[in-house]
Parts: sequence; structure tokens; C-alpha cells
Amino acid sequence: MKDYGSNRRIGPANLTISKGEIVGFLGPNGSGKTTCIRLILGLIRPTSGTVKVNGFDPITNHVEALRHVAYSPELPNIQTFLSPRELLNLISHELYFPDNANRSSEIDQVIELVGLHDYADTKAGKLSKGMIQRLSVAQALVGSPETLILDEPMIGLDPAGVVHFRDVFRDFAANGKGTVFMSSHIMSEVESLCTSVAMIHHGKILFKGSVDEVVGKVLDYSLVELETSPLTPQTIQQLKEISGITQINVVNSGKGDAVAIEITVVEPDRDIRPEIADIVVKSGAKLYTIKHGENMLEKAYIEALKETKGGKP
Amino acid sequence: MKRAEVIYTFARYEIKRAIARKKVLALVAFTILLSVLPYYALSQAGTTLVPTIVYPYLWVFAILLVGPLFLNFTAILIAAGSMSEEYEQGTAELLLSKPVRRSDYIAGKFLGGYVLFLFILALTLVLSISSAFTFFGVQDNLYLSPGLFIAQAFSSLLFFSLAFMLGELIRRSSLAYIFSSAVFFSSYIISVFLSAIFGATGKVVYKTVQMYLPTSAASSLPIQYALPRLPPTVSTALTFISTSTLRPTISFSIELLLVYIIVTVTIAAAYFLHADISRKLS
Repeated sequence: MKDYGSNRRIGPANLTISKGEIVGFLGPNGSGKTTCIRLILGLIRPTSGTVKVNGFDPITNHVEALRHVAYSPELPNIQTFLSPRELLNLISHELYFPDNANRSSEIDQVIELVGLHDYADTKAGKLSKGMIQRLSVAQALVGSPETLILDEPMIGLDPAGVVHFRDVFRDFAANGKGTVFMSSHIMSEVESLCTSVAMIHHGKILFKGSVDEVVGKVLDYSLVELETSPLTPQTIQQLKEISGITQINVVNSGKGDAVAIEITVVEPDRDIRPEIADIVVKSGAKLYTIKHGENMLEKAYIEALKETKGGKP
Repeated sequence: MKRAEVIYTFARYEIKRAIARKKVLALVAFTILLSVLPYYALSQAGTTLVPTIVYPYLWVFAILLVGPLFLNFTAILIAAGSMSEEYEQGTAELLLSKPVRRSDYIAGKFLGGYVLFLFILALTLVLSISSAFTFFGVQDNLYLSPGLFIAQAFSSLLFFSLAFMLGELIRRSSLAYIFSSAVFFSSYIISVFLSAIFGATGKVVYKTVQMYLPTSAASSLPIQYALPRLPPTVSTALTFISTSTLRPTISFSIELLLVYIIVTVTIAAAYFLHADISRKLS
């Protein structure tokens, strides 16, 4: 546990992460995400209790605990007087991977992987924010770590960079090779990339599990979204009579005469899309799309915060 | 990897960092200015101002007169930002999240900064000798230069360690510079006052207090080393010009310097090893 005084305490937190997982670490500002990460990295001491990384205390056995752990900080503060190649060389070779005979080729590979090839010898002080973010991830990837701890790794990246880094992290964790533990505020990013999520609030872990598990724990409903031509009141009434449907919202989709319909279902485990599609088609309306509701993690996240704050998100 | 190699890596890193901050370039410029200009000015002032008998020993004056002020202040400028600037820029966090020992990091930073200081000191010595030779002819007793270099290097380690400690404790470079400079100049001014009061009253307590001030310890050793080895005329001139009125024994100076250095380095290391690593200032 870390006690900052003024009633701000982080922990006690118990979080088990398996190899091969990509864990999204979620929580509002000030919830304790970065503090947890800094405790894991031995940058700060717990006020009480212990932190173990790979079986070692990251304060007293810093080298052993973090030998296979790499970190990319939020809003990375890179040494501006070093170029990407110099920084990676400092970290991978000069500080703790001296015996890596292929270090030059490894550094070149990592620079290529994060898309910094054209800036490999440019001082970091002259790089853009996005390039600095890429360099931050590069310095974490170099040296073949087994665990990546990433604090908001997608901040500042362009859309192509986000897609690319998503693949990089997936590849890192593929087949149980490595573990990724990343904090993020971008729910869609976490939902599409992470195999599991952990939610923290007021320094306490609220939930940990797969995206579906966490959504199921927090929300007692699911959503079905469809785009159709306008439905008659009779058709809407028929839809409401399907077991499990509690609410139907119709809004203008903005695409010609099509309307967007959001249907709330209180039996999240049952897939009622075929029944809905059947009624819509038989009514003579055109059915353009039908799918499960998106951004459920975001909805679950906001709902969870409401519950812990007495209804206020 | 051997720990010595890691410390060496951090020392090189610190030198590179300090050079990139352009602080060292400014100090080199000041060193050149202070080591050349006074000799040039003296040479233009006419022979009556400087007795010709002193000409072969003028190189000593630079190190003994410039040393207590410029060199100790240079030590402060280099050391105060060594740790604090890395907290302010957030770069300490990146390095210390790697599997490296904190003790290696702080040792490397300290040594790297001190090597930079030694470079400035060596430059001061070389330029002083060169300038004295250029403007006043062949210089004598140059065999004293290695000893003077060591004495000044050890003396300036006091304010270097003090500023390094304050930089670590305060973790704000501007405040660390201000506090270190305040200690330096306060000690200097108090020393002058105490010396004057002792001269007027003859009470030993003033002299005793003065002897324990950090500026006394940091400015005594080079003079104590050089004076007995110089001709009496030069020694008298130096004693007259020098701001340091103290003449404690060499062993006392060394012991006092050691106490100051060990205490400040121990506090800096203990605090760094135990305290949380600060995040970048927002």
C-alpha cells in the first residue's frame, strides 16, 4: 500500500497476471494506475506491505526483479541529448545487456520495428511527440524483455502508428512469449487489444478478467445495434415483445432514410439478433446492419465508476 | 556486468548530459577569461605594479587567488544540477526503471560531474601557466603544479559534495544553486567578519569558529601547500593579497575537508537510496 496522506491511499492491490496476457489497466485520473506501476518498478516504496516482481523485491533486489521487465513511461521524458540509437545502445548494451553480441543488429531491428529508421541518429530533442512515444516503446522493447509495462503507450501516435503498435504488442505476447501490462484511457483501444482488463479506483482493484467477464460483472444488460429503414409502431411493439428486451431507442442514423436502433437486452448471454432480424425483415423494412453493441467496456467502466461514487461518474 | 563498468557508463552519461546543457561551455569560456585577462591587464599596467622578482611565480597567483572563488563556485554550478535536473526533466525515472542499482547511478553521476570539474581545474592551471609565460616570461617552481592541482581538487570537493547533496535533497536545480551559493557566500562573508573581529579583539573563539567554516576548509589547503615552497617575497605577497587569513595545519584542513565531504556524500547517498524517485515537475 502507498499512502500519500490527505486520505489518498493506493492499495492494498492484489493482481495476478499470467504470461502471454495483454492486460489493460483502467482507472480514472488519480485512481492509482501510475502509482501501482511505479511500485512494481521500484521507483517508489510502499508505505506498508511488500511488492514482489518475479519473486524479488524491486527496491532491495532491483536488478534481479527487473531483469526481464521493461517500462515505457507516460509522456516519456527521453534524454534530449541522445539520438534513438545512442539511447538504445546505452540501455541495451552499456547498462545491463553487455553480453549481447548481436546488439547492433537488435537495435537496428527495434528502430525499424517502431518506425524510427529515418530518425535513428537524430537527437531526441528534435523529434516530434509521436516519434518520442515510438522511441519510448523502442527503449522498452530492446534487450528482449519478457514483460512490457506501458503507461498510456498510444498517446501522441498517429492512427497508422496505433494500428502498427497494436500489432507489435500482439506479436510480443503471441503464443505466451511475453506479457504486456498497459494502462490506458482509450477504452476502444483496450477492448480491441487486451486479452483481459483490470479496473482500479481509489487505489483498489475493482475487477480483473476478460473484457466480456468484466462487462458482464458490471453491466446487467447488453446492446444490439441495427440500421433499418423506418419501422412501423407495430414492428417496434413486436420487437418489445421478444423476451429479454427492455428498451428500444430509435434515432436518425444520418444515412438517407435509415434509422439507427439501439436495443437493450437484459439477458446478455442470449443472442437475440436472429429473432430481431426475422421480425424486421418480415415487416417489409430494409435491414442494413445488425450487430452487438460496441464500446461496452466504456459503458461498463462508466457504470462501475458511478457505483463506486454513488451514482456520479 | 561489473559494477565498475556500470558506474563508468553513468559517469560518461553525466559528462555528456552536462556538456549538452552547455553549462560546461560557459564555464570553459569563463575559465579562459579569468586565466588570461588578468595577466594581460597586469602586463599592460607597467612594471611598477608587479615587482620583477615575482614575475617567475605569477602562474601560482591565478590558482591561489582564483581558486577559492571561481573554482569552488564552478564546483557548485556543476554539482547542484547533477541530480536535480534529471528529476526536473523526468529522465531519472527512465534510467532507474532499468535493472540498475541506484548506488551505481549516484556514484556514476557524482564521478562524472567531478571529472568535469577536474577538467575545468586543469584548464585553469594550464592557461594560467601559459598566460604567465606569455606575458611575463619563463615561470619557475612549476614542479608545484601537480601538488596544487591535487590540493585544489580535494578542497573544491567540499562544495562539490555540498551542492550535490542539496541538489538531491531539494530536487529543484534553481533552488539547489541558490542554497549552495548562499552557503558559499555566507560562509565567505562570515569568515571575513570573524577574522576582523578576531584581529580587533584577539579572542580565540572567533578564530576557532572561522576555522571550521566550509570556505575556510575549502580555501586553505592549496595556500598551505604552496607557501612554504615559494620564495619569501612571493609568500608575503600572496599572504597580503589572499582573502584567507587562516593558517591551520595541513592535517587539520584535510581532516575538516574529509568530515564535510563524508557527511554530505553520505546524506546524499542515504537519501537517494531511500527516497522515492520524483516524477517530472508539471
